[in-house]
Amino acid sequence: MGRRNRTEGSIKLSGLALHLLLAVGGFLMVAPFLWMMLTSFKSLPQILSNPLGLLPNPWNFSNYADAWNAAPFGLAYWNSIYICVLTVAGTIVTASMAAYAFARIEFKGSKFLFVLFLATQMVPQQVTIVPLYMIFSKLGWVDTHLALIIPAVLCNPFAVFLVRQFIRSLPVELEEAARLDGAGRWRILFSIVMPNIKPGLAALSIVVALGAWNNFFLPLIVLNSENQFTVPLLLSQFTGQYGGINYSVIMAASAISIVPMLIAFLIGNRRILNSMAMSGMGGS
Amino acid sequence: MTAVLAKTRTPDAPPVERGEASWRKRDRWWGLVFVSPQLIGMCGFVLLPFAVGLVLAFAQWDGLTQLTWVGFANFQAELADPVFLRSIINTLVLALITVPVGLALSLLIAVALDKLRGRTGYLLLYFAPVMTSSIAISLVWQQILRADGPLNQAFSKVFGIPGPDWLGDPHFVLAAVSIVTIWSSLGLNVIIFLAGLQGINPHVLEAARVDGAGAFRTMMAIRLPLLSPVVFFSTVVAVISSFQTFDVVFVLTKNGGPDNSARTIVYQIYDEGFRHFQFGMASAASIILLVLTLVVTAVQLGLQRRFVHYES
Amino acid sequence: MNSNTFSRRNFFAGALGVGALLATTACGQSGGAAGSSAKITWSTWGTPEEGQRFKKFNAQFKTDHPTITATLQMVPSYSDYHSKLLTQLTSGTAPDVFYVGDDYIGKFVSSGVLMDLTPVVDGADAKVKLADFNPALFGAGKTDKGLFALPNDCNPDVFWFDKKALAAAGITENPADLAAAGIWTIETFLGMCAKLAAKGLHGAMFWNYWSTHWSWVAANGGQVFDAAGKFVLPEDPKSVAAIKSLADGFTSKSFTVADTLPDGSGADSLFVSHKAGFYVQGRYGIATAQQSGSKDDYDIAPWPTVSGKPGSSGVAASYLVINAKTKAADAAKTFVGDFLSAKGQTLRLADGGNAVPSVKGADSVVLDGNYPAHAKSFLDMTSAGFEDFAVEAKVPGLSSDVSTAMLGMYQGKTSPADTITAVSKLMQKAV
Repeated sequence: MGRRNRTEGSIKLSGLALHLLLAVGGFLMVAPFLWMMLTSFKSLPQILSNPLGLLPNPWNFSNYADAWNAAPFGLAYWNSIYICVLTVAGTIVTASMAAYAFARIEFKGSKFLFVLFLATQMVPQQVTIVPLYMIFSKLGWVDTHLALIIPAVLCNPFAVFLVRQFIRSLPVELEEAARLDGAGRWRILFSIVMPNIKPGLAALSIVVALGAWNNFFLPLIVLNSENQFTVPLLLSQFTGQYGGINYSVIMAASAISIVPMLIAFLIGNRRILNSMAMSGMGGS
Repeated sequence: MTAVLAKTRTPDAPPVERGEASWRKRDRWWGLVFVSPQLIGMCGFVLLPFAVGLVLAFAQWDGLTQLTWVGFANFQAELADPVFLRSIINTLVLALITVPVGLALSLLIAVALDKLRGRTGYLLLYFAPVMTSSIAISLVWQQILRADGPLNQAFSKVFGIPGPDWLGDPHFVLAAVSIVTIWSSLGLNVIIFLAGLQGINPHVLEAARVDGAGAFRTMMAIRLPLLSPVVFFSTVVAVISSFQTFDVVFVLTKNGGPDNSARTIVYQIYDEGFRHFQFGMASAASIILLVLTLVVTAVQLGLQRRFVHYES
Repeated sequence: MNSNTFSRRNFFAGALGVGALLATTACGQSGGAAGSSAKITWSTWGTPEEGQRFKKFNAQFKTDHPTITATLQMVPSYSDYHSKLLTQLTSGTAPDVFYVGDDYIGKFVSSGVLMDLTPVVDGADAKVKLADFNPALFGAGKTDKGLFALPNDCNPDVFWFDKKALAAAGITENPADLAAAGIWTIETFLGMCAKLAAKGLHGAMFWNYWSTHWSWVAANGGQVFDAAGKFVLPEDPKSVAAIKSLADGFTSKSFTVADTLPDGSGADSLFVSHKAGFYVQGRYGIATAQQSGSKDDYDIAPWPTVSGKPGSSGVAASYLVINAKTKAADAAKTFVGDFLSAKGQTLRLADGGNAVPSVKGADSVVLDGNYPAHAKSFLDMTSAGFEDFAVEAKVPGLSSDVSTAMLGMYQGKTSPADTITAVSKLMQKAV
């Protein structure tokens, strides 16, 4: 303990510089985002007369009401949230299973399969979308959320790869003790391996959730009915072909669309920190 | 064979040889069971559709009428098309800029945040862009990148010369696309690196400290090597996804930039397929992209042995 | 390596399977027996505001035809809409009735995926007759094989002008008055643009699409295609001169390409903040003018011509078609008839709607409300106008490839002569 305190003291000054640097970088990162928020409080004439102005004058809150009333956000929130939750939960299970097999189990063809998994990550969606759509229509998944959830859960090479890397950085001894106690692969995966890679799984959840939340192209092609729409589809309705784009309402709509992700991130982030502390204690 | 393997791999294996053998036997089965959900998905939702794409690459098809077989004509036409060659170069340039810069920045930020108090606040700042919808990103950045926009106002204040027309000048559009790409994906890599750093066993670090290793030495000798599987992962994924750059180009330039200066391979695929109704050409272009990606990834996998440290 | 060959075999089996899938997927999605009760789906692109108008039409349709349920599928963006439509068509799940943009219609017509609409506009009880339509608008929808697409409505490209901006540049004449007197000449127009540009304002803002290039050629008395569909522009000295003067207009900053302005502070905001004299667009410009809060500053004029007498200019249209694979053909025909009838168009386009009707008998939607002051120009220009040329509409993407080539010239990167050569090549490649 004493040693730790001394090191902390000696890096206090450089710590201050670090904070400064991180803050500047953070500001640069968040500036466009802030500008979006500021714009969402401007009136349309103000934007048109002074497109590069910084502060709203006066602050105009009606854009939010306009955006909220122009499109059924409530339903789209619900659709996006439940698609997101199911996708994340499903992906964590299937990706952990496959990743564990690739990292720890020796079976025939495992190397070849892994490379194949990696290769599928390289196929651009723009070329598979038409045949994929045919498959969906054969399965009766057109205009349903199944088309968004099932393929996402059952095919995520990125997730398999990420979890495999996390598992490979765990010491094998962890599992061997359990194995001697007679635990099977199933139990080892769910009660030993997964708890020990919680930070990795939390990061994966965030990545998968964001992918599901911001997915645009597939829902655009697959969903037809407005009551099935997800948040990005709704958002895209604010930019039509003709007529003036109501810039401030789009910004307000974008801000509205981020809220659930923001909350999820704040909660999820705390979970990462907690699980870090836990894995730190359990990993001995 | 199994017994030999078992012996060489675990010299201090328990004396119950039979139990180990049956464990390994069952493992073959478990491996397939564990992989099967993802395997089924991969076959049904990527390989099968892609097989169709593969077939289409040798045909002329507009999506509406009967297809006709044309052999390798689509490949020849694509490879002879200066616009497509331009898109290959653009794609490679984008990867060469965004992958190293993006990864180095996120690694630095993740290392800085790893043991920092008040990390959540910073993380939120770096993560905000990732949460923003592509529609909002395009609108905001089109403003920022205007010739008379805020970026150039700052630019001229710092350097004393007027900044470039980022989206209008063919020499700068790729730079603009790179900036937005790095900006919008930085947060994801930070999160992944941070998760990797936090997964490092604190006892290992403590041991190093006891041995008298300083912060820098600990970083170079312990934390970075332990993080290398995750860094490797991020590099491979970053290269693959940068080879598939489409969204940013699409929303930022609408038509691939002046003189196709920001047209990427995937933009070309979209353009051939959905704007020109030439799915054969689109498929041929995507196969060329796949080969390119496979080669680069194979090289990375080959280098893995030298630079990546795995536990055990 | 056993697993390797095994997987490869699977892979090919899969490929064959999907090949079979491709071959067998060939039936329409929505069914429902016509007569007793039928369900149809129809699709279009548009803003939420336009969606409200379409829903109003659907409600009226349900009242008129209680046995038919029409469901609307809407995609906001024009290009996304056509991507989705194409995907749906490839697997036989496209809607029964759908919109097609005028730069895609030729392709859809020639590939035989559309139903002949002659029965809809033929017969004593037809809600809308072939003769009701403005003949300039059939474009590539009507061929010697039949009538496969009918114009929903249209938008003549008019010269919206800002009286306040013109006054600021010291211009006292009113373009609409000059046009009425038959002295709205290109020379006068260019003079006004030069004055506006001298004051640091934008002269005229054009969207970079077929109507801009070809209307300018027409205004200068040139020809783009001959009657046989041959691209004759390069051989016509008047056309070549027109392309050059158009290029000069852009390079001298008298003209502005609206597409290259950034979103959010684009042509719309310049126009409403009185920073541009002319803005060439359709009836949807009403929405732009209203945003300014002083809409009476704005009015419309036709394209100027060499002689000053009204000429012919581009009219953009969208088309309504029936899926050849629909299982509810009768219901779909009923829907199309109602949708295109004068009553249907009035319902969709009244109260500052975004387009001009494509049939006789609905002119009141343009003239009622007396906005803009010379609203009648919309109707005159529509009857005298021309649609996108069939050659361009037949090859997907050709129209936008031509515009991309033209953009280089507008931005001063390619010479008019080189640009004409490049466009000729594109046209030849397409034939």
